[in-house]
Amino acid sequence: MTESIVSVLRALIFIVIALALCGLIFSVAGYSAPDMFRAIIDGAFLRTGALQQALRWGLPLFITAAGVVISFRAGYFNIGAQGQFYIGAICAAFAADWLNGLPAFIVIPACFLAGMTGGALWAMWPGILRLRSGADEVITTLMGNFLAVIVLIYVTSGPLKDPSGSGQQASSRPLDAAYRISTSYGVSPTIIAIAILVGVLLWLLVNRTAFGVLSGLAGRNATMVTWQGARLWNIGLASFIISGALAGLAGTVELMGPNGRLASGFLPAHGFTAILIALVANLSIVGTAIVALFFGGLASAALYLPVIAGLPSSAIDITNAAIALFITAKSNIVDRFLRNWRKRGWTT
Amino acid sequence: MDDVIIAILRSATPLVYVTLAGVIAQRAGIWHLGLEGLMIAGACATILGTVLTGSIFSALLIAMVICIVASILFWFVVEKLKANQIIAGLGLTGLGLGGTTLAVESIFGSQAAVTAPSGLPRLGAMFGAYGTLSILVLLMPLFVFAVWVLLCRTRFGLRLSAAGEHPFAARSVGVNPGRMRLIALMIGGVLCALGGAELASGSLQFFSQNMTAGRGFMAFAAVIFGAGHPIGATFAALFFAIVGAIGIRAQLVFGERVPHDLLLALPYLATVFGIWLSARLRGGVKAVTGFGELRDS
Amino acid sequence: MSEEKQIVLECRDVSVRYGDVVALSGVSISFARGRIHAVVGQNGAGKTTFARAISGLVSPDTGEIRIDGRALPSGNVNQARQAGVELVHQSFALPPSFTVAEAMQFGAADGRIYSRRGLERRWQTYLDSLNVKVKAGQRIRDLPVETLQSVEIARALVSDARLLILDEPTAVLSPEGAQKLFERIRHLKDVGVTVIVILHKIREVLAIADTVAVLRGGLLVEGPVECSGIDAEKLAELIIGPAARPLEEDQKAALTGSLDTAHAHLAQSVDRATVEPVLKLSAVSTRHDSDGPPLEDIDLVIRPGEILGLAGVEGNGQRTLVRAISALAETSEGKITIEGLDVTRASLQTRRAAGLRVIPFERNVEGLSLTSALWENWSARELLQRPLLSMVRPSELRQRCGTALDAWEVHYSNVTQRAGSLSGGNAQKVILSREMDEQARLIIAAQPTRGLDIGATAFVWDSLNRARARGCAILLISSDLDEIMDICDRVVVMLSGRVVGTFTPPYDLADIGAAMTGVSK
Repeated sequence: MTESIVSVLRALIFIVIALALCGLIFSVAGYSAPDMFRAIIDGAFLRTGALQQALRWGLPLFITAAGVVISFRAGYFNIGAQGQFYIGAICAAFAADWLNGLPAFIVIPACFLAGMTGGALWAMWPGILRLRSGADEVITTLMGNFLAVIVLIYVTSGPLKDPSGSGQQASSRPLDAAYRISTSYGVSPTIIAIAILVGVLLWLLVNRTAFGVLSGLAGRNATMVTWQGARLWNIGLASFIISGALAGLAGTVELMGPNGRLASGFLPAHGFTAILIALVANLSIVGTAIVALFFGGLASAALYLPVIAGLPSSAIDITNAAIALFITAKSNIVDRFLRNWRKRGWTT
Repeated sequence: MDDVIIAILRSATPLVYVTLAGVIAQRAGIWHLGLEGLMIAGACATILGTVLTGSIFSALLIAMVICIVASILFWFVVEKLKANQIIAGLGLTGLGLGGTTLAVESIFGSQAAVTAPSGLPRLGAMFGAYGTLSILVLLMPLFVFAVWVLLCRTRFGLRLSAAGEHPFAARSVGVNPGRMRLIALMIGGVLCALGGAELASGSLQFFSQNMTAGRGFMAFAAVIFGAGHPIGATFAALFFAIVGAIGIRAQLVFGERVPHDLLLALPYLATVFGIWLSARLRGGVKAVTGFGELRDS
Repeated sequence: MSEEKQIVLECRDVSVRYGDVVALSGVSISFARGRIHAVVGQNGAGKTTFARAISGLVSPDTGEIRIDGRALPSGNVNQARQAGVELVHQSFALPPSFTVAEAMQFGAADGRIYSRRGLERRWQTYLDSLNVKVKAGQRIRDLPVETLQSVEIARALVSDARLLILDEPTAVLSPEGAQKLFERIRHLKDVGVTVIVILHKIREVLAIADTVAVLRGGLLVEGPVECSGIDAEKLAELIIGPAARPLEEDQKAALTGSLDTAHAHLAQSVDRATVEPVLKLSAVSTRHDSDGPPLEDIDLVIRPGEILGLAGVEGNGQRTLVRAISALAETSEGKITIEGLDVTRASLQTRRAAGLRVIPFERNVEGLSLTSALWENWSARELLQRPLLSMVRPSELRQRCGTALDAWEVHYSNVTQRAGSLSGGNAQKVILSREMDEQARLIIAAQPTRGLDIGATAFVWDSLNRARARGCAILLISSDLDEIMDICDRVVVMLSGRVVGTFTPPYDLADIGAAMTGVSK
């Protein structure tokens, strides 16, 4: 257990270092760093309704991040969560469009199925290219993100175009209110239930199945599990599919919940933030749930900053990026410091 | 025909500079996914520098300094703090994208595109139709040749490759692999600054947020496609640029009959194809797996 | 003072610590110019650390190293090389993608810029002058180990080395290769180079060295003494130290390389030819792949209660054979049966279910995931015999792992600790406890004692013997001929992917050595 305390402390130390870098960047750009941080904390956690907003942004992020945990644990750098999220939302939107008029108890499950399948397929082709040919999944999933953005632009300005939409941002026809699983405000019992279900199932998958133990081993040393008789194809492809399906699920939740329609380029930082959450949580499912709420708060602060505090929302992107830069860092100096500190903490 | 070649050269040149940066980093053992961030920082610094100082040369200098400083930060994080190269590279890219947006907003108070009064020096009338191209286009083959000589025909290049491929071998002849990586990344920073400058200032002279649109990642794919060889990677970058230019050309010719968005997707599809092909030909390349437990100490 | 007594290298109170482990402690020693000095000791005695400290790769925590009476700045390879010190590593330090010429050039002092043609011509001349038979344009990764070693030595001599240190140079060589190396070393001595050679076989020490020094547990237990004044028995005792129990024959055999420990235990078994074999390979060939030479037409039979030894110079298809048996290299022709079951097209999972167990070559890569917990490593084999989505109770697995590790005398503090925190011997025992369970029928042991100290080596041999007594069939792959001759019931030799000889006790080292290098007798 003490090992995990050390890793949490280490993560916190590097997050502080990352925030210091952010402060430096803010200052160089001509903003007051303390003001900026105060506004971010205020927008994320302190203003009225902050918890609800953290949930609204954090729950979909948690779903995607849980998928990222699965593929990263198995050793595959599927950084295409953003694309899988988009394709999931697009497939769900098509399903809703085709089934429009049928009762909600048919349409909603169909949309979820379509969304998860779409996300899974969008993760599957890089997975197959990686497992069959050894094509590096970092590049292919990244390219998948760019391709998904193009597909989204095409869909929102073509097949699903909302004719009454404004010229500013292309978007799809809004979903029938009967098919929505939350209001635009974004939190509803349905969404919370979905997130809890995902959390429980994935916790079981990671901690209580042969797949969980073996994929963890494969992620740290694929050669060793191969010599034990594992077929990386099975473990790897399952990991890609699960992570893609979850990103697609998150896309469906965003579409049928708070957004209610597809807009070109919506939530552009979702996938990257989800990757960050998984890494900050050190690839644990429980940790991901906690960290997702924190980053959900930050995401909601991005809307708050320009409106209330008159500060640029890119401050949140910078904060996230700086944390990404440092979060996987390992440092002997920091580790030694933590260990000494722990020893002293026990003896005194 | 001339306008097609001009279009290809325009889109290829920034890509080639950044690809060369990626090649040098790759040789030294760093998978450089921060190229995108460095490139946009270079583009932004060039335009803002031109606006603020009025001189393109001081702007270029500022861009290089910024990219070198960012490269040193990246080096510190991956070399000294042993951070995962891929995640840290994505973080650097995020810092570049976010930081440039913030800078534009802080100076001009809006996120709109910034236009510079002047751009890079052009080739001029003696080059006829090609006179509108910037001087960096003409210098590109020179840079490719210089990087090739550096990596493939000097002892320094051998030591750089040894630092990447077999750090212990490098150490046992008295080469410090960490320092070689620092030098590699700093050279890469200069090249990214040039690539960004050409992108922003080589033809239209403006900066808008996210204007690199994945070119840095495409450059990285070219590095892999070209097996980390300066000439091979350059040709891979040219290939991506040609595919992109053909897309735009096809659109002019066929008009509405070909979906516009499909053509936009061509360079990305070509990149995926390139990665798949190079993996097929070489039986799979994989330098960094998982959180890599086995690394040379 | 006579020429002979001149001191070339002097270490004063040199200590090296890695974290909490003391690798070298207060070593003070000096070596005379122009002679061949051996440094011996068990694995883990600090030999490699000693070599690296002298050559500047490791920076000592205390003490000082003087070359020709001048102190070297600590941990500076360049200064050490300028002073004429060069180290040839046990696992060669040459980038695999380089050509020979490039590998020579990257450590050279001159030639900042070159043309490919000029580079190859220059180094070809140099290699020819040293009588190294290799083309300067060949890639390092395509070279056989013996050539690799010659290239590495040639590289070390580029900068006019006056003190050459060789770290376990014979570990990868055939007996003939070792003889050639010794000739090369003697030649170097003749031209005035001082050679320090690190060894762990007493036989080899006495064959090549003028003086010998013994390291044990990081301490110098015997300064350089003339080899003429010491015998093998005495040396063996110095290396192992005042053992709590009298030296077991096996242990002594491992050190002295003596064949006196006759094969008494081998006589016991019944007439094996009548028993159904556990493993049978009939005319097995594999396709060419990047991982070693392909197999050509291999026939092999291992019966219950038999240890079959597989000898050969490293890189002659031993690895491919193990991979073919483990379904990790595709069998293109022929047939493989385990316990009568045709498994030629079966997966490793199926073969393991039939009783196959593998102790792989690379303990820390193929055998264990160093960053994973002990219980995860231990339960991997078992979990792979279940469906992927079957439920597991980690607490139960941890408990059973603990019981098993205790039974195998593994020293560990907690089953949740990382496998990387164990010593080499303990790590190997974890693998043994996983691979040598009661259901095991066929055990492939690939280099199971490499890098282990005497105690752990004896433990591994003992385990193999017990498994044999239980009726397991065992394939032992080792590059240590003494080990093979000591415990195997039968020995086959591989060369270039073929089986080129089968031997039964009593073995003749010269015969096996000849087969390994393809010299027909």
